[in-house]
Amino acid sequence: MVMSETTRTACGFPGDRDETLIAYLYGDIDPATRAAFDAHLPACARCRDELTALGAVRTQLSTWSPPSFAVAGQSVLAPSPQPLASKWWQEVPAWAQVAAALVFLGVGAGLANLDVHYDRTGLSVRTGWSRSVPVGVARDFSPASANSANPAPWRADMTALEQQLRTQFRASATNVANPVNVANPVNASNPELIRRLKALVDESEKRQQRELALRVAEVLRDVNTQRQADLVKIDRTLGVLQNNTGVEVMRNRQMLNYLVTASQQRPQ
Amino acid sequence: MKGTAAFRMPWTDEELVAKSIGGDSDSFNELVLRWERPIYALAYRTIGREEDARDVCQETFLRAFRALPGFRGQAKFSSWLYRIALNLCRDWMRRERRAPTVQAPEDVDLIEMAAAAEPSESIEDLVARKDLTRAVERAMALLPDEQRTAIVLKEYHGLTFQEIAELVGCPLSTVKTRLYQGLTVLRRELAKTEKRERWS
Repeated sequence: MVMSETTRTACGFPGDRDETLIAYLYGDIDPATRAAFDAHLPACARCRDELTALGAVRTQLSTWSPPSFAVAGQSVLAPSPQPLASKWWQEVPAWAQVAAALVFLGVGAGLANLDVHYDRTGLSVRTGWSRSVPVGVARDFSPASANSANPAPWRADMTALEQQLRTQFRASATNVANPVNVANPVNASNPELIRRLKALVDESEKRQQRELALRVAEVLRDVNTQRQADLVKIDRTLGVLQNNTGVEVMRNRQMLNYLVTASQQRPQ
Repeated sequence: MKGTAAFRMPWTDEELVAKSIGGDSDSFNELVLRWERPIYALAYRTIGREEDARDVCQETFLRAFRALPGFRGQAKFSSWLYRIALNLCRDWMRRERRAPTVQAPEDVDLIEMAAAAEPSESIEDLVARKDLTRAVERAMALLPDEQRTAIVLKEYHGLTFQEIAELVGCPLSTVKTRLYQGLTVLRRELAKTEKRERWS
């Protein structure tokens, strides 16, 4: 705070001074209060100072702009529906995802005709494709004998469950995909899409040019700064040299004076 | 064609909302195009992270779309959107359990400022502006959520005190006090930065 203590205590505005000051600053104030504050200002250095200072803060705030929307990733919804589309599966409950994984494994195992066998020799897993059918034993595919002959008796149940889950997934995907469709660029007219793309490309090119110009300018600035630093250094070194030379000259002069004095004294 | 040129004013938000509720997806698209930048800017200035701001923006429109049939028009559509976005920002900050960091990528900052630079602006001015922007970001990040939100809504979105009060659910005088306190903190912090830079 740059305000002095005398100005701080000098304000005698009736009512809530801070609130009025802010309302006045933003011009969001009723006419009567504005008139009262207008009348108060010439007599109050504190309010005048603060008003000026807060106005300067507002000016500084105006320099802050968020990263460009196009730079950030084009439109949030319209041109890039992929992020939304990729999230549809997150809407499926976790239990359903686990169940789906199990079904997938089960069906996969069934298709592979997996044979899991555990006995004294240990656990053995092998696919049924390699299992030989005993000679003379006809394979019975009738439902009645499914329990004994079918290597994957739960396959039918699993297939049914898989179908059910697939239906649920489809339903979820449709529900979630609706908003995506709203934003899908395919829905938008083609000229509009092309116009947006063109604008994005143009903007990208301009940005690259600006960036290049900025980089060049920064390099120039750095070089300039370095040059100035070097000049100062050279100047300082020259000064030191001059000093040294001056000291040397002075010593020589003193020596000369001494010699002259000595030579003058000798004849006497 | 004399006097018969069909010249239609753009649809108002309310008209587009009504059409969207009626199943016209293009109308909702139009609303998104119209409001995505302000909502993104609000989210960015509130939470200070570009990626998260984009997510918040996206989520805002998704929620708005889902809740659209329940929108009765008691408030302006923009206020309704702002409320959804602010709630999402609040959730984000609660989840992250921290104040906004405002870590704008420096390169983007430079580019952005270069884009906004006047043709006659020198590189020194541009760099000074860049420094000032960073100082503002840092100072804004120091403010409590309520003060920052009030300043963002007033300063960058031009809402009235009354609209802000309704949006954040507090009395009018509280909004003004938050603004006053926030601006005072910013003034102090920016002065400190200026002093530091002068000595360095």
